[in-house]
Amino acid sequence: MAGVPRTWVRLPPPPPCFYMRSITHILALLVVLFLAALPAQAQPAGTVTFSFDGNVAQVPRFGSRIELMPVLQLIGAQAGYSQAAGTYVIQLGNHQIQITPQVRFALVDGELEKTNDAAVVSPGGIAVSESYLDRVILSPFAYHLERSGAGYRIAPGAMVAPVVTVRAAAADFGTTTTLVLTLSRHVAVTVTAGAGRELLVHFSDARPQLDGSLPMRSRRIVAIRAAANTLKIELAPGQGLLASHQLTGPDRVIVEVGRRPPTPVPTPVARARKPKRPTIVIDPGHGGADSGAVSASGLEEKVVSLAVATRLATLLKRDGYVVRLTRAGDETRALTDRTALANRLDAVAFISLHANASTVSSVRGAETYYMSLHDATDAHAAETARKENAAGAPGRRGGSQLDLILWDMAQARVLNRSALLALDIQRQLNSFLDLPDRGVKQAPFVVLTGATMPAVLVEMGFLSNPAEAGQLADPAYRQRLAEALARGIEEFLRSSS
Amino acid sequence: MIRRVLLIVAVLVALAAIAFWALRPGGFARKTTASLTPVPAPTPTPAPETRVMLLFPGTDGALHPELRTVPLPAELNQRVRVIVSQLLAGPTARLLPVAGYPARLLDVFIDGRGNAYVDLSSPPQPLTGSFNELMLAYSIVDSVLLNCQELKGVQLLFDDHEVQTLTGHLDLSRPLALNKSFIAAQ
Ligand SMILES: [Zn+2]
Repeated sequence: MAGVPRTWVRLPPPPPCFYMRSITHILALLVVLFLAALPAQAQPAGTVTFSFDGNVAQVPRFGSRIELMPVLQLIGAQAGYSQAAGTYVIQLGNHQIQITPQVRFALVDGELEKTNDAAVVSPGGIAVSESYLDRVILSPFAYHLERSGAGYRIAPGAMVAPVVTVRAAAADFGTTTTLVLTLSRHVAVTVTAGAGRELLVHFSDARPQLDGSLPMRSRRIVAIRAAANTLKIELAPGQGLLASHQLTGPDRVIVEVGRRPPTPVPTPVARARKPKRPTIVIDPGHGGADSGAVSASGLEEKVVSLAVATRLATLLKRDGYVVRLTRAGDETRALTDRTALANRLDAVAFISLHANASTVSSVRGAETYYMSLHDATDAHAAETARKENAAGAPGRRGGSQLDLILWDMAQARVLNRSALLALDIQRQLNSFLDLPDRGVKQAPFVVLTGATMPAVLVEMGFLSNPAEAGQLADPAYRQRLAEALARGIEEFLRSSS
Repeated sequence: MIRRVLLIVAVLVALAAIAFWALRPGGFARKTTASLTPVPAPTPTPAPETRVMLLFPGTDGALHPELRTVPLPAELNQRVRVIVSQLLAGPTARLLPVAGYPARLLDVFIDGRGNAYVDLSSPPQPLTGSFNELMLAYSIVDSVLLNCQELKGVQLLFDDHEVQTLTGHLDLSRPLALNKSFIAAQ
């Protein structure tokens, strides 16, 4: 019987002749058994003393955890259980926390938060660890746990600064870049120039957490990192802080970045001189420890993608393009590093090559994808911009409302051109493979996120389909595939130049 | 006679066990401490039979609709559970299963921003191929969003964990919006 506490009273086994007696005796035994179990639960093995605002409660332990309900009662929180959702709803003041036993997530004021451990079902309803109580339950209510003798004191003030989610978006203009940091709530911030090429955005009494959902498209901002109460923004060489201001409704920090006139930083010669011939970055998918899909005969996606990429590079170089591969051999490369290389080289196109797999072996065909514009967070950003325009929110700078729109437009322009590149490549693949046109599709691919140039992902065929796996293993087929891809890329570049 | 008595004893013990489990505070009649004011739990209403459109992958790499009449609860979280469970149960027509492995629905959360989080059991062996990833994600995302208009996005979780990607292609680290490019043209 799972769930019965260890203090369950065990009666000695009855003698065999017992069963021969009347059913009344058996019923009596069951009642005794049942009643014996009840008080056993009301007195768990150990308790922990909790004090809050002069009141004290003895809170029962449940294994390594403590019962939550008496603690909530002590601080005056309301709690309820939604049977439909299997969730406990805890309310105090304006804050609401929803927790589900056995789940390492909690909804804190409507935001999903990861937790280090899970709450569990207990005799008192639900039990949590001390750290869970402190971080997940008490912190949103601006309380924290303090050791007090053998027990705890619940004291005011959140131990860890509450999180503020930051969504970063950047737009490059002629000589400046506008960085828009959208905050999930109002927090006072100060923006200062840090050491070297770093900008520091300091949050008072809040821990910034980067949303990372919007692609960063900037040549002047290299990276953004969150560290404790600060957001560190790494700038490209020669760039500095020009201005910053904070806006409300929605809460945003606008940071202007550009070349600082008084202290010109010498830029490397290589960066100043742009390559005369356009650069194309080809990304052989997967590599190193990540083999990708594998055919029944053992042919690996990483091998196929590199083989076709190498042939494609040779063809494009022959036609006068500068070509760089994101990996030259069987190496592991982070997905974000691949697009970053293309951004750094100011490439005119980014092509990620892959071979597909399905659990159904009859599935076959090639397909070209490009980045999705209409994902939930982009829609959210657009909605924010619309809302601000409708409300006519006062911006200290007239351009602030325009920034988001311009950023949206810049993003839309890159996506439109990605769609054209995808269409040109798919058209060539269709005629080469003689397959019915499936059109091109959009989705948020990790490797395409953040690309500042037309970027596509090509699935060249299914390794799970025996016929296509055979073709993808054939050097002559790989060559013809590379030729079709080169025709598509060059057609796009010719028509767009 | 002995056998009969033993049988009755067995039945009674089972009944007592069920009653004991049900009445204990952590049982299905779980209650919060009496003095706490309970937040009203959603009242269970009989779910009316509703026609839902489920999207299943085809061998053409597109999602194809299958109409099913199912009891659909009014409560959003429950509705998402029904849609996903129906999808995981598999197609009836000549379409493909949503997941390339026997995926189970572990949980569903709804946040305050119109996003649903669908927690699935993770694949026993790592999946490969963008096809498997795209079909699994958008069967669920598009089916849920088409049948639950109040939602804006759906994020897939695996074994209670957020993942960046499942096969190294699609970004699953955030909620996905309705993607009509995968829905087959009629
Ligand atoms: Zn791949």
